[in-house]
Amino acid sequence: MRSFVHPLIGFTVGGTLAVAAGGMLVCGVIGLADGRAAAAFLITGALTLLVAVAMISSYRRGDPKEAGRAGPVTGLAAVTLAWVVASAVGAIPFLVAGTFESFLDAFFEAVSGFTTTGATLISDIEAQPDAILLWRSLSQWLGGVGIIVLVVAVAPVSGPGVQRAFYAETTGMTSDRLTPRIIDTAKIITLIFLVLSLAAAVAYLVAGMNVFDAINHSMTTIATGGFSTRNLSIGAFDSLAIESVAIVFMAMGGINFAFYWKAVRRRDIRPQFNEVVVYLALLLGISATVAISLVINDQASGFAGIVIDPLFAVTTILTTTGYTTADFDSWNSFATATILLTMFLGACAGSTAGGIKIIRVMLLSRSAIQELQRQVRPRVVQVLRVGKHVYDEDVRRAVLGFFLIYLLVFGIGVLVMAASGLDLVTAISAASATLNMIGPGLGEIGAIENFEAMPDLARAASCFLMIAGRLEVFTVVALITAGVDRVRESLGRS
Amino acid sequence: MKALVIGAGEVGMNVAKTLAADGQNVTMVDKDPGRCEHARVELDALVVEGNGASPVLLRELGVSGFSLVAAVTAVDEVNLIAALTAHQLGSGTTIARVRDPELLGRDDPFATGILGIDFVIDPDRAAAADIAAALQLPGAVSVEYFGDGELALAELIVTDSSPLVGKPLSERERPHPAFIVGLTRDGVAQLTRPEMVPRPGDHLLVTSPRESIRSAVAHLAGTVSEVHRCTIFGGGKIGLALARRMEDVGVHVTILERNRDRARKLAEKLPRTRVLIEDGMAEESLIEAGAHKADAFVACAGDDRMNLLAALNGKRIGADLCVATVSREEFTPLVDAIGLDAAFSPRLITAEQILRFVHTRSVKAIHLTRTGFEALELEVRPRAQLVGKAIGETGGLLHHCRVGAILHEEGVSIPQRGTPISAGDRLLLLGPVGTVSEVEEAFAGAG
Repeated sequence: MRSFVHPLIGFTVGGTLAVAAGGMLVCGVIGLADGRAAAAFLITGALTLLVAVAMISSYRRGDPKEAGRAGPVTGLAAVTLAWVVASAVGAIPFLVAGTFESFLDAFFEAVSGFTTTGATLISDIEAQPDAILLWRSLSQWLGGVGIIVLVVAVAPVSGPGVQRAFYAETTGMTSDRLTPRIIDTAKIITLIFLVLSLAAAVAYLVAGMNVFDAINHSMTTIATGGFSTRNLSIGAFDSLAIESVAIVFMAMGGINFAFYWKAVRRRDIRPQFNEVVVYLALLLGISATVAISLVINDQASGFAGIVIDPLFAVTTILTTTGYTTADFDSWNSFATATILLTMFLGACAGSTAGGIKIIRVMLLSRSAIQELQRQVRPRVVQVLRVGKHVYDEDVRRAVLGFFLIYLLVFGIGVLVMAASGLDLVTAISAASATLNMIGPGLGEIGAIENFEAMPDLARAASCFLMIAGRLEVFTVVALITAGVDRVRESLGRS
Repeated sequence: MKALVIGAGEVGMNVAKTLAADGQNVTMVDKDPGRCEHARVELDALVVEGNGASPVLLRELGVSGFSLVAAVTAVDEVNLIAALTAHQLGSGTTIARVRDPELLGRDDPFATGILGIDFVIDPDRAAAADIAAALQLPGAVSVEYFGDGELALAELIVTDSSPLVGKPLSERERPHPAFIVGLTRDGVAQLTRPEMVPRPGDHLLVTSPRESIRSAVAHLAGTVSEVHRCTIFGGGKIGLALARRMEDVGVHVTILERNRDRARKLAEKLPRTRVLIEDGMAEESLIEAGAHKADAFVACAGDDRMNLLAALNGKRIGADLCVATVSREEFTPLVDAIGLDAAFSPRLITAEQILRFVHTRSVKAIHLTRTGFEALELEVRPRAQLVGKAIGETGGLLHHCRVGAILHEEGVSIPQRGTPISAGDRLLLLGPVGTVSEVEEAFAGAG
């Protein structure tokens, strides 16, 4: 029997469900200890697992080579669908446990989790059952590693279709193949993630968190997600030690994972090295700028106020994590404008951060400078170069195209947000905070607020922007374009 | 000594000619009948028509009896195979001309160690090195080093502001140890005499120890402008190699290259160099390249005529030092005639380098054909006729040559009348072309 859906889609969706089910069952066990919401997770998890097993086994009965043989559109569809399905299934425990009453809200929370955005609709986080809190953190961790990466890491499939899906999910312009086989690469990424999370958890413990908080925060820090177990986020702990640990591990989460692997294996790290240097320089430079503006405007005092608060705020925004300590919304407008623009930069390519990514920003600025130089010397031959690495002209085109589409999606996002009734600052920052996968924005969704002020239309738009941002717009936009083309074709035929 | 030269092109002919003039038994192999015919007329050598890379031919020639095999055809791979085969068949020193650095680099230990090729020479890189050396010595148009680099022999052009202008050489001030050996005026080379009065535009040949050549040349030439900005016309292999060297010493380099793909390659390989597309030699494009403000303008495109014209144009719009690479000997006289500062011939440089390598133990020879002088570094053997004599009192042993410098264990010294010559000294002899090799006897040990 031939199935309706392409085997690749069946396989990825089935795999995604299995991953989500695994996470839910873990949360269910924690729920048993806590005595709350255990049933919601255990039952949902078990049912999801059944569906997943069914889908995967039906795929296994088919021709395994078929999955590898997939066109570009199938690959993009598989990835996008995997993320939507993960979020949809991930929303169910929120509904069953009674956290939300509307599906849209639960979906929003799940999308915000899997995409590592960190925007929340829960007003009293601390009142939630442990299982719900862990599920939020775990969804960010799973989404941070990458759903397709996880699926590929556990299930041995390969072929052009799977590769396309794999690369569509990884951030940045080029995926660094660490090993000849994509499955090994996926395993390595997962391993790096595990090691870093473990290190973060230990550091949080030492800095004074309890075990549950440390585990939750380690997952959402390394994934640069931003969900916290506290209403006041990291600020609730009121501890310089914890804030410092968060700064260090957020910054580490913003670095290309291939970089760590190459550094450990003593491979050539030069291609990524320049980006990392610029990333760290921007981190410190922007922090210093914000700090100076705070001092000038008499809005900060003491070591914590002048050094740690700006550094924390800039790190959390640049890495697109979204933890908060100080209420940066109340800072002077120069500082808030800086924060808003920093949202777009993002951290290194190949990390879990959102945004445009440092390497693209570097290439865009070089391109811009070169265009200016061309005005003076029309005959000059220009090469896109970072350090000693020379980029192909195709890369220049791709980066410019990416930037344009990114701005376009952002612009449409702002319009929809404004149409839903949000004020201008809130609308702009909401589109930015979701597309760039940050979490908190400014105005009504500011650092100390949550997203409850959003009308339903804005919540739906946020879901779209978050998934588009996680898959770096191209995947989603290309899929929409392909869909439009198909509709046009079928209209033309009839 | 028997020498086998494979390839009767310009490099091969030059090497063969010099070796033959040195009294060696030269065999020349080339597969082109026309070139063989030409070589038969030009060379005092056995000329064999055939493939120099063929083991059959090499064995027939008895290659194991040759103490030198130089494979210098235009094809890298042929040269490599010929040198390898000769080495395997038991020949002496092997030399291969390899232009593609990706095939085999000059200092690649793989070449000498495993492959057994003693000397790999790349004409383009050698030319680029020579040009770069000249550009890095302000005031000089070319420079060569002797005695393991301790002694420099530079050619410079006298300018209006030179302190030498208008008075006899004997009255010149001597702030730096330097010896003005030769003077070329209107293409005529002569050894200097104390009563000579230099004029602007004269080319002088000067020897000086390495550490003082810089200041000596700057003083004598009357210019001290260092090369900070360099425009290179033509981004071929010489242009690329030269740009790389200049870039490394912090010079602002601009390259003009006609071919778009090649230009892109250059831009990729040279991070600090500005690469421009050259479309014709229009003044506009030269000015966009900053040639009018350049301290040095080097024309090294593929074609001699183009190079001469480009360098001329560079001179016209105001570039300071204008040099061109010129491959064909018949164009050399034009260089002076149209007022360029110097010309470099990659093939002559290659031949020179091979000869210097061959002579490495006792003799080092070099031909400065463009200035009309020839230089030779010779060691005074014990019991040679020269031992115990003094400079200026050699009784005709040195014929028409002059000792430009003495290299001994303590270093380099500039000879003066009465300086004694002892066994073990190495002398740099200079003289008009053809005069230097005649005096070798005076250096040999008696019996």
